[in-house]
Amino acid sequence: MKKKLIVIISFILVFTLVFAACGKKDDTTAGSTTDRNGGWLDQITMKVITGDSAVTQIQAGEIDIYADSLASKEDLLAINNAGLDKSTQFGLFYELTFNPAGPTFDATGKLNPFSVMEIREAMNYLIDRDYINQEVYGGGSIPKYLPITAGLPDYAKFVEMAREIESTYAYDMAKAETIITAEMETLGATKVDGKWNYNGEVVELIFLIRNDSDGTRIPIGDYISDQLEAIGFTVDRQYKSSPECSPFWIAGDPNDGGWHLYTGAWSVTGMARDVGGNFQFYYSNASGMAFTPLWQAYDLDDELYEVCEALANNTFTTLEERADLFREAIFNTIKYSYRIWLIDGASYSFWDNDVITSYDLASGVDISAMTPYTIRFKDLEGGNLTWGSSGLFVDPPNPLGGSNWTFDHQWQNFTQDYATLGNPFTGLPMKQRIESAEITIETGLPVGKTYDWVALSFQDEIQVPSDAWFDWDVNSQTFITVGDAHPEGITARRKSKVTYPATLFDDVTWHDGTPLSVADFVMGMIMIFDPSTEGSAIYDSSLSANLDSFKSTFKGMKIVSESPLVIEYYSDTYYMDAEINIASFWPDYDYGQASWYQIAIANLAEEAGETAYTANKSTEMEIEWLSLIAGPSLEILAKYNTQAQAESYIPYEATLGNYLTAEQAATAYTNLAQFYTDHGHFYSGVGPYILDRVLPVEQTLTLINNPNFADPSDKWADFSAPKMAVVEIEGKSSIKSGKSATFDVLVTFKGSAYASEELDTVKYLLYDATGAVYEVGDAVFVKEGKYEVELDGDTTTALGTGACKLEIAVVAIPVSVPSFEILEFVTE
Amino acid sequence: MGEKVQTPTKIVKKKTKDTAFARVAKYSSLRLLSLFITVIIGVYLTIMIANMGGYVDKIMKGQIREKLIVSLREDPNYQLMEPTAKATYFEARVINEEKRLGLDQPFMIRSFRFLYNAIRLDLGQAQFMTSDAGSRSVKLIILERLPSTLLLMGTANFVLFFATIALALVLSRKYGSFWDKFFITASPLSAMPSWFYGIFLIMIFAAVFKILPFGGMIGSPPPETTGQYIVDVLIHLILPAASLIISAFPARVYNWRTFFMIYSSEDYVEMAKAKGLSDKTIRNRYILRPTLPMIITSFSLMIIAMWTGAIITETVFLWPGIGRLIFQAVGMSDTAVIVGTTIIYAYMLAFTVFFLDFAYALVDPRVKIGSSSS
Repeated sequence: MKKKLIVIISFILVFTLVFAACGKKDDTTAGSTTDRNGGWLDQITMKVITGDSAVTQIQAGEIDIYADSLASKEDLLAINNAGLDKSTQFGLFYELTFNPAGPTFDATGKLNPFSVMEIREAMNYLIDRDYINQEVYGGGSIPKYLPITAGLPDYAKFVEMAREIESTYAYDMAKAETIITAEMETLGATKVDGKWNYNGEVVELIFLIRNDSDGTRIPIGDYISDQLEAIGFTVDRQYKSSPECSPFWIAGDPNDGGWHLYTGAWSVTGMARDVGGNFQFYYSNASGMAFTPLWQAYDLDDELYEVCEALANNTFTTLEERADLFREAIFNTIKYSYRIWLIDGASYSFWDNDVITSYDLASGVDISAMTPYTIRFKDLEGGNLTWGSSGLFVDPPNPLGGSNWTFDHQWQNFTQDYATLGNPFTGLPMKQRIESAEITIETGLPVGKTYDWVALSFQDEIQVPSDAWFDWDVNSQTFITVGDAHPEGITARRKSKVTYPATLFDDVTWHDGTPLSVADFVMGMIMIFDPSTEGSAIYDSSLSANLDSFKSTFKGMKIVSESPLVIEYYSDTYYMDAEINIASFWPDYDYGQASWYQIAIANLAEEAGETAYTANKSTEMEIEWLSLIAGPSLEILAKYNTQAQAESYIPYEATLGNYLTAEQAATAYTNLAQFYTDHGHFYSGVGPYILDRVLPVEQTLTLINNPNFADPSDKWADFSAPKMAVVEIEGKSSIKSGKSATFDVLVTFKGSAYASEELDTVKYLLYDATGAVYEVGDAVFVKEGKYEVELDGDTTTALGTGACKLEIAVVAIPVSVPSFEILEFVTE
Repeated sequence: MGEKVQTPTKIVKKKTKDTAFARVAKYSSLRLLSLFITVIIGVYLTIMIANMGGYVDKIMKGQIREKLIVSLREDPNYQLMEPTAKATYFEARVINEEKRLGLDQPFMIRSFRFLYNAIRLDLGQAQFMTSDAGSRSVKLIILERLPSTLLLMGTANFVLFFATIALALVLSRKYGSFWDKFFITASPLSAMPSWFYGIFLIMIFAAVFKILPFGGMIGSPPPETTGQYIVDVLIHLILPAASLIISAFPARVYNWRTFFMIYSSEDYVEMAKAKGLSDKTIRNRYILRPTLPMIITSFSLMIIAMWTGAIITETVFLWPGIGRLIFQAVGMSDTAVIVGTTIIYAYMLAFTVFFLDFAYALVDPRVKIGSSSS
């Protein structure tokens, strides 16, 4: 009887465990509060509207969200006045580029003051960045002195250096004039009637002022011109668009003398976690811009050149060494000032108060990978949302060489899913469709990790297995292994091993109903090589350069197991975050996602010379640039889908035949044909929304909820808003020199204490009465949400008497953008 | 005046016929030739202007480099290359793109190729633009936008044409009346362009009263059935068409009214009045008939003007027409599209001018084809 009872209890226990395991797909669904799968909304209509009318259209109920962004002072005012919710993200960052040729231009013999580095450096004093921020951007942006965007992790790490530079190069027109005057006289220039002259002629500066883009470079250019004229220069303000300027500053020889200054701007495309390469990029002739005559004119001293190289190529071994290199780069590149930095611009996306959405702190709403998973109406499951944007259907979408416009990526984003999903607030990848990852890095390289699900280890030598795939044989249509290509064996600096969930191929299906399969992954691997390799039936010469670039660091890849799927990847590239080193294979190509069979029929059309993936090949052969959603491509694809369906066609059969049966192939084509009948296009994805209708001329499309999506709608609900720390400093406004003083620092989020385990740094910067940084240190933890900065008597004495400042910089782990707060106090 | 044959013999009649045919044939040939040469010159000038005499090549070369820089900034493999390898790689990409855009050939050679292809109506492929449906074929790019432009411009122009002529005819007979004075006073309002009225109409009917859409061609969510689609498009047509009509209406009425008044005061009209002919007869026979050449000319030019769309009005209302297409093509210096739209317009204009010569002869017995006076 006792034995029977034990058996019964054991059976119940096992049954319960099995039932529990079957009932939950993964941990993330455990706390789900909804039965709904896929996106929160029933339907999304995307349409083109003008940015000028966006605020009014939201107020009138015509649209619910403007996903593009606006940046000007007037726009910010209108958004705020309308009381709309908004996201603030990095916009363009603005700079002033100098022509360093000279001292006189070869072509004209005219003087170029900016050939002198001291004059370029002095321009930092001449420009009041705070004035530009207030007057042009309504105070919504950030004055900029460094090639590091405020808000990126590296800025927070080196904030004390940033503050030191800001203090050293603060606006001081008199100082600028003194330095520039001395240097101009050394050059042989003289002032006549208050205007600089050289060889009997007025020194006229040609200033290329961009009049397009967001329009803010016009007032910036005018302000700088005014400042230059105030110290005796004559400025020829040439207002030009980007195409009109590029023949001068990008393509032209600086020695032609066609320009002296240019209002440049760059953009941040994502939450970059390592911007060490920026010094090389912007100041060195080893930059990615090395081919341009302008960059060829850059001539750093050897030591600084090597510093820039080390930061670009991560050839340091410790983070302390990296910090030293940053200091060298920050404080020395500004002396060269081939360009000076002006403003870290902010831009704004905005929406009706009834809408909730996540957004990326770097790129905003429209192309944030998290937006499709989080956008919804408040307190409502379902509903139809209207999404306004200033563009749609710019170029045809196709996975290998289609549109690269954000206007076209914004809707594709909703139809896609990912192996890893970029954290919109930190830029670190998070698990979406992978189980675990192991990263192995060559010993001595400075790589660290943040998440527990990533295993990081170091090895002196990482040997690439001889059976790993290394290259592609277009004739036999099989992979060439490392053993075949390199019998002696090869090593790599990085190995990534990713294990996918055992239920991956049950959980994930394409929108046409075909399950995701290993073939989708293998097709992706084949397409890295095949179209770029001469001799291929779909060879495209414009892609071969990309393959050369890829091969320069690629060392091999290997499917270790099919169930569960485990893939190893070997390369010489590496990044400082272990998570970014994860090679998360997914049917994700350079310009979008696609199943093996979508690629198969597109390849058939390309082989037949009827469509081409890239603009280059389509122009060269005068055939259609492949579009999966509209136009003449659709009939061509339909024709080849029918053919493939009839033949149960397995592309690259020598390789893909190992992963596919003829029946599976036929079913996939049948499903795709039905999808085309239902939706009128071939853009089937795996994401939370299905592209339903495409109305290209009407500049409208609709997306509908994908009820078969693997995850519940609230999986990423925590990412609806960034967990930005709010900092307050409490302390006396007046302290006695020689006496100690204590300041309380409160760090909160939505009124509650910010958990210390979620805080990376609570740093203080103490400024003396001259405005210089006197001391940098960590605030002392008191209790959750409360820290303390204590200044002893010696410190308060050393600060001198006058107005001093205490600045707190808080870097939180969930959000890479640091929070700052300043308290001013007087020492007596 | 044309040659006049008064002797009614058979032989002379044949000669007359032959002579008239030869005259018309000769005239037509010369006219067609001169129009063709005009078209060639016009299109070549367009090519030169659109390319700023070849300077656009320089701009495009700079743009290629700028775009490439932006894309390569994020490429880790590129960043790891040696400086010389970077330069080689970059140059290879630049050469590829320059070749694609034909920049590897001198502009003068390309300009004649553009011209040759255009004259043959071989519109080829756009350099940068794609149709909304994603095709680079200039023919498809233009054809895609044509229906919406014809709808907008057709609606506005037909309403304008017939309504203004009808009203002007009435006003021309009621000189000094309240409405006559009203349109005289209101005619300067046409100095304001249609897009200006468009902005006001959007503010009033879309932003304030919220009864009409801000722009575009269909609403959100898109209509499901053809019937709903037609109704939706018509609703979206109201404001852009109204702005075109409102803008041009007073001046057109004023023009036609003045024109008709001149004819209304001719002696033969006074004579007809004195004879007691009905108003309808006087209007149709004594006023409208002699003005027919002008009306036909105006109508014909209106029909071909529909082809070019309303550039700024279409842009303000985001109406996907040819006008907006031309605006985009000029902004992107896409010569193929600019030349494509120009050559079609040029041919249509040339044929219209040619056709009008015959039309004048048909409606006005005083006009003879090929005569010195015509």
